[in-house]
Amino acid sequence: MTQKPHTIEVGDGAAIPLKSDKGLFTAWRLAFVGALATLTWLAFTRPDPYMKIITFVPDGILVTFKVTVGAILLALIIGLITGLGRISSNRFINGLASLYVEVIRGIPLLVQIFYIYYALGRIIKVPDILSAIIAMAVCYGAYMGEVFRAGIQSIPKGQAEAALSLGMTRSQTMWHVILPQAFRVVLPPVGNEFIALLKDSSLVSILAVADLLRRGREFASESFTYFETYTVIALIYLILTLFFSKIIGIMEERINVDR
Amino acid sequence: MKMKQVISSLTLLLTMAVAGQALAAPKVVKVATDATWPPMEMVDANKNIVGFDIDFMKAVAKEGGFAVEFKNSAWDGIFAGVESGQYDAIISSVTITEERQKKYDFSLPYLDAGQILVVPKGEKAGKLAELVGKKVGAQIGTTGAFEVKKNKGVELKTYDEVGLAFEDMVAGRIGGVVCDEPTAIIYALKKKEYADKFKIVGKAFTKEAYGIVVKKGDKELLALINKGIKAVKAKKQDGAMKAQWLK
Repeated sequence: MTQKPHTIEVGDGAAIPLKSDKGLFTAWRLAFVGALATLTWLAFTRPDPYMKIITFVPDGILVTFKVTVGAILLALIIGLITGLGRISSNRFINGLASLYVEVIRGIPLLVQIFYIYYALGRIIKVPDILSAIIAMAVCYGAYMGEVFRAGIQSIPKGQAEAALSLGMTRSQTMWHVILPQAFRVVLPPVGNEFIALLKDSSLVSILAVADLLRRGREFASESFTYFETYTVIALIYLILTLFFSKIIGIMEERINVDR
Repeated sequence: MKMKQVISSLTLLLTMAVAGQALAAPKVVKVATDATWPPMEMVDANKNIVGFDIDFMKAVAKEGGFAVEFKNSAWDGIFAGVESGQYDAIISSVTITEERQKKYDFSLPYLDAGQILVVPKGEKAGKLAELVGKKVGAQIGTTGAFEVKKNKGVELKTYDEVGLAFEDMVAGRIGGVVCDEPTAIIYALKKKEYADKFKIVGKAFTKEAYGIVVKKGDKELLALINKGIKAVKAKKQDGAMKAQWLK
């Protein structure tokens, strides 16, 4: 029996350049090389203020990175649980997972970040970067849950029926047959979510978390070089997003080879 | 014939009225303020921008012969707005500093101020430098933030609004907040929900003066503002404002 390769729709996030998409691939190169070249050129032709800005923000890049990676890992766990909950036949678990998805998706990320940091800050004491990570993960967990649900549901029913008839339990079927295939399907949208999260992580700068954007704002508010500072910040974000979208693109191609 | 006369006299009256109004209509100056800095500038329960600075600016405008229109702007970027011409001036407890004077023009100083440290009740440190190893909050781009930065070993955390810094101190994420003295008094002593949590450490440790900011080279507006400030000071109108807002 031949099977159609199953793919799911890619919605938001950033464009991930695949070799098959020539136009985007060229655009990626142009943007990445262009951004790097502009940054270098600015740093050397006008060291004041550009070199100063570039040397001021690296610890901010590290914080942005920490928040992004921490949040995506936590969001993957939350998303997997939510995704499984959403397809669960247990009405209580299913209802709970659906409620979580609906509530979180209905509240803007910025409001959620404020809420988790300041409102919950009165009840539980959580360090700043950790609460930023939790806020981002709680939000992205809901979206990730939908990605996992779609991924699991894209695996044909026949697979589960075959596994069950071979004597596997329901959880064995899920872990050994369905999920390994689903992971492959969800990789592109998860990659997209990662890039989107990297960009959205700039929102945590409102929490006084010293990420890339806040470091930039601190520099600008002290030196009044608004134009120059935000040029550098934008270029650094662009380089980061392009870099990671490339890596995700390569990962996808590797996984698609044996298909 | 009579009708014509009536019309012509009416037209004349109208023309005079319009012309008179054009002459009397004062120049409208757009003034930005970050209304998150009680008691200097804040938004009251009726969504009006109020505070010492607001009353002072209104008095200056009256004496200087211009009309004033306030615009609530985030502090972070408030200077960029005057540079790009989104508004003409800033009155927002802006300390006159050398760095700022290089980029913008300041009016005559109109109020003395100083930075002061607020800590949770029970904190033993007697000054900022003793908070080594702790995080201290301040509003981004304020002289308070610059002061914290001067202390090696004290980690600065910058907030968009000073109120968020105080809220973070309640949550225990920072060990102190540095801001202007009048604002510190409001948060540490006058706000009910904070009064039993915070205390002010010592006295103000900087000597600063507030000025009104205009775009570099805007001599015309600066002259009007300075004329207003001089008149307000000469008539001692600011005494009542101090009594109302700063006591």
